[in-house]
Amino acid sequence: MKMRGTPLRVLVLGTVAVLSVIYILPVYVMVTTSLKTPLEITQRQYLAPGGNLQFGNFATALRLVAPALLNSSVISVTVTALSVFLGGLGGYFLARFRWPVTKVIFVLLAIALYLPYQAVLIPLVRIMATTKLALTHFGLIFSYLILNVPLASILMATFFFSVPRELEESAQMDGASRLQIFFRIVSVVALPGYASTAILVFIQVWNEFLLALTLVTPYTTTIQVKLNDIKGSYVALYNLQMAAALITVVVPLTFFLFLGKYFIRGILAGALKG
Amino acid sequence: MNPTGLAARLARAKEAAVFVLPLLAFLLVLYGMLAWTFYTSFADWEGTAPNYTFAGLKWYRFMVGLDRFWVDLGNNLRWLILGVAPTVVLALFIAYLLEIGAIKGIEAYLRTLVLYPAAMSFVVTGTIWSWMYQPDRGVLNTLLRAVGLDALTSGYTTDPGTATYWLILIFVWQYLGLAVLILQASFRSVELQEMVESAMLDGASRLRILFAVLIPNIRGGILVVVSLLLIAALKVFDIVYVVTFGGPGYATDVLALFQFIATYQQHLVALGSGLAMVIFALAFIIIIPYTVYALQRWFE
Repeated sequence: MKMRGTPLRVLVLGTVAVLSVIYILPVYVMVTTSLKTPLEITQRQYLAPGGNLQFGNFATALRLVAPALLNSSVISVTVTALSVFLGGLGGYFLARFRWPVTKVIFVLLAIALYLPYQAVLIPLVRIMATTKLALTHFGLIFSYLILNVPLASILMATFFFSVPRELEESAQMDGASRLQIFFRIVSVVALPGYASTAILVFIQVWNEFLLALTLVTPYTTTIQVKLNDIKGSYVALYNLQMAAALITVVVPLTFFLFLGKYFIRGILAGALKG
Repeated sequence: MNPTGLAARLARAKEAAVFVLPLLAFLLVLYGMLAWTFYTSFADWEGTAPNYTFAGLKWYRFMVGLDRFWVDLGNNLRWLILGVAPTVVLALFIAYLLEIGAIKGIEAYLRTLVLYPAAMSFVVTGTIWSWMYQPDRGVLNTLLRAVGLDALTSGYTTDPGTATYWLILIFVWQYLGLAVLILQASFRSVELQEMVESAMLDGASRLRILFAVLIPNIRGGILVVVSLLLIAALKVFDIVYVVTFGGPGYATDVLALFQFIATYQQHLVALGSGLAMVIFALAFIIIIPYTVYALQRWFE
């Protein structure tokens, strides 16, 4: 539905210009501030980059966040792999076994998908504390799994819907079992779907704060909790805060920039677009 | 191949088991924990050691007697209205503009531009925006002073009267792209495109097409966007925790933050559970229409 006209063109360009400023300014500020000296920050020359770029800020920030970066990587990668695997199984059930009970499971999943974490926080922390799982990465891994398998299942189901049934039927004729069909045919065809689901789950887990904060131990501090600590303990050192923030977003932002197509498909699948 | 008999149905159930059992196990744990929270809210758990003695509505009564609870509820309401309505209206405007007037290359640019914050955490955006809002040396006030608009400088999140609104602005900034993306996708159905074409041939104005043709026909998309935003606005915790920690005083406090503080700093665990149930109840109300819609789509 294309339309023409000069006023429209002006409106479009005007909107793009305004949005560009609003969306680029915070990132620009983050990058330039992260390269300044503390003195330059107090001099109120915020928009101009600093005279002498302080790459050392990143070394300092990296030293501070390195263990947390490792914790977050271990937790996010493990949760993503397991969620995608288990979500694939669950999603296949939702997509192919359309029984009355499937509707009930679907409703339970839909609620679980948008469940505020607070509703399960107290029991979860209790379980992790009494089993001592909280002292290891498994505490957060297990917690995130419970909360992300429903999401992964719904997402994978929407992707399995678009796998043609004929593929499966002919394999069935050849005597393949359901599991064989699932792993050798459906999952292979739906690989892009797995990629979308993995990216969405990974970003969600990487960015999660409430559970990570509540279950925090010195050995399992995640990057988000660490960034918040840095913000609290280096109050005036905005250069260090911004360098740490930049390190924190590099991973999800890289996924977004290079695998944006899958990210977008995942969001649309999650939004159940028609 | 036609499953009619009991034996055939059993065989299919056995086939399904391996796919559905792990999912059911996770759902069981999840709903078990929800029930646990529900019970705890009626218990008398105060202090670090669990106490499951039934106390009836004791802690709910305590909750509604707290000023802070009503301040929080008011703030949550502000988040729900101001975090969602402007975002949806703006997103509709941008999505429509992209649909009718996109100049080559601009669409991809604009999409990336407004969508990238969706990949960032609230802790990161909170950190950046704290610096933007910082009253005496921060970015926004410095910019305003530089162009001589000193009158417009403000205390942002340090001013109790307006602090919540500045926090909500961060949320709108972060979620706008997601809303644009979903609404744009719902413009893309073939029938809708044809309806727009014929309305254009009839000489309908652009505004008329938007209000008379597009909006009534993307009710599903709007429902999805509104529900997603409402839930996100209701759950908001990170932004408040990172930027203001509920301050000044508890001017920007929300239920989710109070829940955390009541449980883990004041050790009023029964109260924390009650607050969690209030948040859950609100979320539940929000997702009912969405769930019904999704169910119809899935099982039509």
